[in-house]
Amino acid sequence: MEKVVEKIFQSQFALVDLREILRKTKPVFNLSEEQKQQVVDIIKVVRESMDLVEKVLVK
Amino acid sequence: MSIEAKIAGDIEVRTREELFINIQPIQVAGRLTPEAMKALIAYGDGYSVCDWCRKPFRLDCIKKPPIDKFHKEIAEFLGMDVARAVPGARRGFQAVANTLVEKGDTVVMSSLAHYTEFLAVEAAGGIVKEIPPNEKNIVTGEATAEKIEKVKAETGKLPKLIMIDHFDYSLGNEHDVYGIGKVAKEYDIPFLYNGAYTVGVMPVDGKKIGADFIVGSGHKSFASPAPSGILATTKEWAERVFRKSSMKGDLTGRVFEAKEVEMLGCTLMGANMIAMMASFPAIKERVKHWDEEIKKINYFLEEFLRIEGNKVVSEMPRKHTLTKVDTIESFHKIAKTHKRKGWFLSDELKKRKIVGMFFGATKTWKLNTYGLTWNQIEYLTKAFIEIAEKYNIPHTLAKKVEKERKL
Repeated sequence: MEKVVEKIFQSQFALVDLREILRKTKPVFNLSEEQKQQVVDIIKVVRESMDLVEKVLVK
Repeated sequence: MSIEAKIAGDIEVRTREELFINIQPIQVAGRLTPEAMKALIAYGDGYSVCDWCRKPFRLDCIKKPPIDKFHKEIAEFLGMDVARAVPGARRGFQAVANTLVEKGDTVVMSSLAHYTEFLAVEAAGGIVKEIPPNEKNIVTGEATAEKIEKVKAETGKLPKLIMIDHFDYSLGNEHDVYGIGKVAKEYDIPFLYNGAYTVGVMPVDGKKIGADFIVGSGHKSFASPAPSGILATTKEWAERVFRKSSMKGDLTGRVFEAKEVEMLGCTLMGANMIAMMASFPAIKERVKHWDEEIKKINYFLEEFLRIEGNKVVSEMPRKHTLTKVDTIESFHKIAKTHKRKGWFLSDELKKRKIVGMFFGATKTWKLNTYGLTWNQIEYLTKAFIEIAEKYNIPHTLAKKVEKERKL
């Protein structure tokens, strides 16, 4: 269960980083290539984390 | 974009910082770092920092998470010897006033001082005497010395304390804290430096200033949640302001020898404490770039002043991002005949995703550009020019952002 908790926090923290990208690019949200890559990386972390959470808690 | 997500019941999600450019004068430097936001997620439970609290059972002594280390480092960061996290700058003023001021004692402070400084002195039974600013709205060492002499002549005693805001809340002007520090030493009067608008955004060295006490605000300038703040002092004064309890229960004989009276034991517990600590590395870095923030506000104002009738009330060039402007001869003229009156300017800004100015104000009002990127500064600048054009307020063409400026 430690892994599940870890992944939940990792996801939440990644989403905070996503909020920070919004804060830096508001109100037009023209993301740089670097920021776009960060978004991709964040989404990957969240997806993979939630896959594991689903596997352990639901399946 | 409308947000339907609710926290609970009617409590809405706050999206101002994600969707809008916020120029609210007191909010911008208290915006959380991502690290502080993560701290709120992980340490939101009430007594979360107390898991590893061991003897002497005091917040600033907790080693895990490293709250003790933070207290040492923040004192060093401010050029002082001892520091405590407190629930807001006002609690710092209160602790110092309670310690130094007795009934009828005089405290001198700027006539531009924050109201909480007044209240702290009042609560301690003291009397405030205000130092007038000069013609440029700056409080000087000379004016402070004159006020001290006046108090001495009137009461036969020297003031017990000098409290000065480095930058005031009203105009964001820089006051002569170095000169006042010297005056304080000459008269041997303790000097409280109010760094509510400096600690956390620009370098502050209490020793260089000659301060006996430094007070900072977490939620104003240290990217921390409210309430949070810092009180730092010298070894000499620490013994008094952080004095420990000597009370003994008459029935139980209980004593609380480790607890600090003015701190009421533990101060800033839980998520707020950890959020301050989490923001600290970013704070140490960002104070090195204060000059860049000053370039941005001065650039913005240079463009803002291209709109005919716009004025800056604060000292120029700006030394702080908090700035008071005067639009009586520009936007206020439009407000006089607009069906939305003064709200038209707020409406126009909001349409352009800009918020934070005092709603409905078109005469004199404050803004703060701290933390905006150059792109956001440029956007903000263009928005004001666009509004001026829409209402036929003359302006000279906004100049292009210089190439060397980082976009």
